[in-house]
Amino acid sequence: MSTTTLTPDGLTAAPDLADILPPRKARGKIMMFIYRYPTIAAGGAMLSIILAIAIFAPLLWTVDPTALAPAKRTRFPSEQYWFGTDMLGRDVYSRVLYGARISLIVGFSVATLASVLGMLVGVCSGFIRWLDAIIMRVIDGMMSIPGILLAIALMALTRASVQTVVIAITVAEVPRVSRLVRGVVLSLREQPYVEAAIASGTRVPKIIFKHILPNTMAPIIVQATFICASAMLTEATLSFIGAGTPPTIPSWGNIMAEGRALWQVKPYIVFFPAIFLSVTVLAVNLLGDGLRDALDPRLAKKV
Amino acid sequence: MAAPSIARAQGSKLLRFVPQANLSSMDAVAGTQYVVRNAALMVWDTLYGIDASLTPKPQMCEGHEVDAAFKTWTFKLRAGLKFHDGETVTTRDVIPSLERWMVRDTMGQQIKLRLDALEALDDRTFRIRLNKPFPKMLFALGKNNAPVALIMPERIARTDPFKLISEYVGSGPMKFNTKEWVPGAKAVFERFDGYSVRNEPGEWLAGGKRIHFDRIEWSIMDPATAAAALQNGEIDWWETPLPDLIPVLKKNPNIRVDIADPFGNIGSLRMNHLQPPFNDPRIRRAVMMAVDQSDYMQAVAGDDTSTWKTLPSFFTPGTPFYTEDGGELLKGKRDYAAAKKLLAEAGYNGEKVVLVVATDVAITKAEGDVTADTLRKIGMNVDYVATDWGTVGARRAKKDPPNQGGWNIFHTWHAGADCVNPAPYTALDAGGDKAWFGWPKSDAVQAGIAKWYDAPDAAAEKAAMAEINRASFENVTYVPTGFFLMYQAWRSSVTGVVKAPFPVFWNVQKA
Amino acid sequence: MFAYILRRIMATIPVMAVVALFVFSLLYIAPGDPAAIIAGDQATPADVERIRASLGLDRPFLIRFGDWLWHVLNGDLGTSIFTNLPVTHMIAQRVQPTFSLMVLTLTIALSLAIPMGVLAAWKHGTWIDRVVMIFAVLGFSLPVFVVGYLLAYTFALQLDMFPVQGYTPFEDGFGKWLGNLVLPAVALAGVYMALIARITRATMLEVLNQDYVRTARAKGVGQRAILFVHALKNAAVPIVTIVGIGFASLIGGAVVTESVFAIPGLGRLVVDAILRRDYPVIQGVVLMFSFVYVIVNLLVDLLYTVFDPRIRY
Repeated sequence: MSTTTLTPDGLTAAPDLADILPPRKARGKIMMFIYRYPTIAAGGAMLSIILAIAIFAPLLWTVDPTALAPAKRTRFPSEQYWFGTDMLGRDVYSRVLYGARISLIVGFSVATLASVLGMLVGVCSGFIRWLDAIIMRVIDGMMSIPGILLAIALMALTRASVQTVVIAITVAEVPRVSRLVRGVVLSLREQPYVEAAIASGTRVPKIIFKHILPNTMAPIIVQATFICASAMLTEATLSFIGAGTPPTIPSWGNIMAEGRALWQVKPYIVFFPAIFLSVTVLAVNLLGDGLRDALDPRLAKKV
Repeated sequence: MAAPSIARAQGSKLLRFVPQANLSSMDAVAGTQYVVRNAALMVWDTLYGIDASLTPKPQMCEGHEVDAAFKTWTFKLRAGLKFHDGETVTTRDVIPSLERWMVRDTMGQQIKLRLDALEALDDRTFRIRLNKPFPKMLFALGKNNAPVALIMPERIARTDPFKLISEYVGSGPMKFNTKEWVPGAKAVFERFDGYSVRNEPGEWLAGGKRIHFDRIEWSIMDPATAAAALQNGEIDWWETPLPDLIPVLKKNPNIRVDIADPFGNIGSLRMNHLQPPFNDPRIRRAVMMAVDQSDYMQAVAGDDTSTWKTLPSFFTPGTPFYTEDGGELLKGKRDYAAAKKLLAEAGYNGEKVVLVVATDVAITKAEGDVTADTLRKIGMNVDYVATDWGTVGARRAKKDPPNQGGWNIFHTWHAGADCVNPAPYTALDAGGDKAWFGWPKSDAVQAGIAKWYDAPDAAAEKAAMAEINRASFENVTYVPTGFFLMYQAWRSSVTGVVKAPFPVFWNVQKA
Repeated sequence: MFAYILRRIMATIPVMAVVALFVFSLLYIAPGDPAAIIAGDQATPADVERIRASLGLDRPFLIRFGDWLWHVLNGDLGTSIFTNLPVTHMIAQRVQPTFSLMVLTLTIALSLAIPMGVLAAWKHGTWIDRVVMIFAVLGFSLPVFVVGYLLAYTFALQLDMFPVQGYTPFEDGFGKWLGNLVLPAVALAGVYMALIARITRATMLEVLNQDYVRTARAKGVGQRAILFVHALKNAAVPIVTIVGIGFASLIGGAVVTESVFAIPGLGRLVVDAILRRDYPVIQGVVLMFSFVYVIVNLLVDLLYTVFDPRIRY
């Protein structure tokens, strides 16, 4: 098959955003970077803004996002309440800004954890023959359970918290990374310089750290960004159906879940978190597309 | 793809109804959830039935005789009553049905306390002999609040009163279609052609229950979807539209909106009196001191102040015996400092408070959120457990410690019609282990209730109710979160929808 | 070829075994004692112990797993803690709506996304290409429920073209069935279309540059024939692969879409079950969806043999 663009989850088959954004006249180093990697620049810039919002939420004219004020409920967006108030009189602007924290924490934590664990499992699987068969069976099995259902099932076992959400989504993502890493490891093992290193008696850990890991970094970073995006969406989805972050925590999914009963009359309660979530996921996806093109010329070379 | 207009044109013999919550069981004797009661009232019939003035009228009974002392009651069933399986209703069915009900219902328990014999005289006649007068017998048999004295076939009535029945055969005007029941999505009722309708005009549970539909379909959906479906004509009747959506529905010429029940509702914050920290009355009082009813009512009923009011009482405002005696704790500005001080005095030390919140029911969700905020304001350690109403219904029955599947606080509301006096008022009883969930225990409350039952005249009844109110506040049997009216909404093609504490399906028609 | 098919079918057995083991472990470690639940509120500890023994809950893990598996293979997925109904019955009641939703989604996604991808590849570098690709990125980034509400608001409430909610069984008429499903299917198709459009475009670009296509062009074969006969046929394998793999996201999306549009399907069943911690139901639905997912991917693998004769068995 000639489907080099396919990783197991199929999500890395992305458009070249270079095609989407019109070329601009390059001016200076920054402009040069933007010109060469418009996707990374756009995604990175958007993500940086969201990140700044999340970090500096307390300074951005917010109030306590959980403070109730039923006397001031369901106010439309105004000078006083920029994004309006929800059915309990909480300030939607503050909730949305603080909600960025949950999404980013979940996205980044899952991406990191899944990458590290996936790398561990993938390398073990690629190097330890007898373990490989077992691991691959388990991975095949896990990957046959649709990710969100796996996360739902795991969430049912415990009390909801941000940590359990992270763990549940991570468990669903690890098999993909493992399989990706294993594939890279297996192909690298065939490389003459690795074979030579093994023949010359270089110890396995050294081979792994010197030859294998550095070569897995590029695909893993690309994969991690896509995992980050999908984890954010999964968290929002879980919260939306009541199986995610506890409802006392303002996450975008929770704000939308609570506001949906009123979407017809007070659409802004759902609208603002939806916009933020979509933009954030879009930013991460763009970043992932760009990174893939930049880091993996083999994948990027698509005509 | 232009089919939907046809898709929406349904036969006129079908009524599509959206109930307040999911129907997960069908036992309105062992369970007290309103949604279950509402379904059960279609499937099972009662010996007597109250009308809109809460006066009991004969329903399955032809009539009764009672001695002057209200001690010996003799009842005669109407001829021709049939269960859905075709069997004739006899006293062999009535007696075990009443026996099962008496175990669960507070009025039933009052009867049981006085009971010498419950005996069949023949297939259609039976007698209740008491050792003390019980003038409120007919109300007990005909009241609408659960546990309802429903008459079931003997085999079903023999079910352990603490277990749910699993066969749904009654003698009511509608049959329950078990096959099409999809818990969480749909429940279907079909007209029972063998139902023997009374000739009097129907009113609430009294008189002729004429069904003008072949099928009544209950669809369970979230409020946003229900609102849209009603506007689009995909459903005919929505039991509990959200207050915030009322303005939109009112604007639609095809939709009628009205107060569901003029008796309104009383919101309830219910604490578990068996488990710490709320086994200490001082801690319960501290919570009551912090409860700001207008916060609760705005969160529950919205900005329109004509639909709610604060309620320093356990009883329904606007009824003859309404009293605010002893309700000072709920009046005036909230004093969080004093509440904190009282908590400290009672030795509250940051113990976890398990707050079970049914997030799928808008009212309980709003109450739960406000309570979480209130408790935090007075420094309590809240463990907010989000779940659905069905689970709250099951979990609240558990007396275990909160960390072993029990609970500390849940929320609900009581129909104002159930709170006019102590008789139908299950939640008011403070008989300890036998009381409603939370198991409040107060001899003063019980003494007041006993006085009320024995009250010879209206003045004595009024005095007894004031006493009960005082004692209930003293004991903090539960915390009323306010009084509010709920709406119901239906398509203008539907006629005959009445104001009542439960959806009355008989005598409703659709053009 | 028969041997290949057999081998491929056999390969799904260990996969399903792992799924089964995982799903069983879920119930095994789930909090709450089924014996206590069955015994009811009034039971003594001795009663609970007796029930536990009678249910075989005191036996070792592997024996219980074997026993459970035997029941599953015989079509017994246990009883819902909440409704007391057999889980297989509850699933059976809800299969048709979910299945219908997926079939329609798949139809919409394939019939729109493939032409979109082909078009983008053909008009590579033009504004058409950009529009398609922007759509594809958005498809990945917009939550299904947001799209769902937007569609419901616009097409059901404002324009009154479709019902907002519900499901009409197929046997009650095709028109009604379709009317109820169009909006949810379109909402759900978004992600799937993005996925398929992207892969179609990428593989088409690759194929279009290959020698035999160039030869065909040189020979004067018409543009349309090149695109749809030569190129698309060769791009079929990756497209079919992504259809199979993407099925997981379709299942995930169905869970949400059914809640938004009040469709009484398996997705709503599992969402209701999780709030109630109704483990046997969660278990049953997860097992069933996983089984379907495995079968779909098995079929996809077998389809390769149709699309790509070069694949050797």
